[in-house]
Amino acid sequence: MKSEEERKEQYCGNCSYHNVYEYPSKIFCTYRLVKRLDPVVSTLWCCENWTPEEEECFCVEDAKKQAEST
Amino acid sequence: MQRKDFLTEPVKHIKLKPGMTVNELISQYRMSGCFGAGRLATACDIYEKMLRDNGCTIYLGLAGAVVPAGLRTVITDLIRKRMIDVIVSTGANMIHDFIEAMGGHHYKGHWFVDDYILYKYHIYRIYDIFVPEEDFIKADEKFVQFFEEIAREYRNRSLATYELAWELGKRLNDPNSVLRAAYETKTPIFMPAARDCEFSYAFYLHSQRVKPEETLKVDSFKEVPFFIDIFRRSERNGMIIIGGGVPRNTIQHAAVTARKGIDYAIIITMDRPETGGLSGSTLEETISWGKVKRKANKIMVTGEAVMVFPIIVASVMERLGENFHREPHPKGGI
Repeated sequence: MKSEEERKEQYCGNCSYHNVYEYPSKIFCTYRLVKRLDPVVSTLWCCENWTPEEEECFCVEDAKKQAEST
Repeated sequence: MQRKDFLTEPVKHIKLKPGMTVNELISQYRMSGCFGAGRLATACDIYEKMLRDNGCTIYLGLAGAVVPAGLRTVITDLIRKRMIDVIVSTGANMIHDFIEAMGGHHYKGHWFVDDYILYKYHIYRIYDIFVPEEDFIKADEKFVQFFEEIAREYRNRSLATYELAWELGKRLNDPNSVLRAAYETKTPIFMPAARDCEFSYAFYLHSQRVKPEETLKVDSFKEVPFFIDIFRRSERNGMIIIGGGVPRNTIQHAAVTARKGIDYAIIITMDRPETGGLSGSTLEETISWGKVKRKANKIMVTGEAVMVFPIIVASVMERLGENFHREPHPKGGI
């Protein structure tokens, strides 16, 4: 069972299938593309295939800042 | 050879004046005739000869990131003005053309930058050009869509790489696009190493979405007889090589296979011959293979192509004038 703190960090922007689509708020999920689902999702959304691999991106940070400011 | 035969033509010094045109400057370079100035002036003369030779098919070889660096419209204009007949390119240059046709951009950047910060910001670097990741991704998204469409249209039949280029160009609306101009004018763009770039990533995504028998099939061997036939049907063949690599040898090897040899050759490169790599190999070395004729009009310009090539084109366009008209080659059509 993941703690609430850990869950908060499970952004699709952290998954290993993501690329930027509209920086920083939208990402392109190749996993969803292959599954014929809409591949463009929010960076702060949690992908069903989220993996705990750390991606050192600024996009999640910037998306969080943008979300807080709106 | 006697001593006097080595001392026939003195160097004339370059004279500059305000408001000089590009071709006037090149004429002054020819007066010097030395070092890069002499080579650049000779390259202009050779390209002019190619264009005025009514039996010459002109091949442009593209390697190195010249499309993202600013040569995109130069190449498109050359296609539309029929100043080149055939392009042999890296896949990557066509990828960058496609990115711009999709509304993406290449940005002026800097070579002295922390690349790990770029990585974290999802920005790719090509020397001093920055490309946002999303522009690549939006191109990939379109490629996946187009690959499925094209595969459906061709069913199980394979495409040559120039057919793939035309199919992509057909789906673009940007008149400044190289791919679009090639499609409209039926100028072949051969991409012998098409998978050595983003095409490969897009194909991988495409292949994960459809059954193996439904994937796009591109066959770069299929076009070999067609390419050789262009050489065979041409009275003379001239090549302009930017960079070198696979595109250069694709053209040169076709010349050998067609038993023709190349009559005119301009190579713009900064590479050196000592590695044995093709991009730096001298034109003399090329003669040993029978790829370029011994008596060909030929020159290698040592310089960076984004700087050098527009000067050559501008100088030659000025010489030819606006009313110059050239029919596509080889005669009888591609």
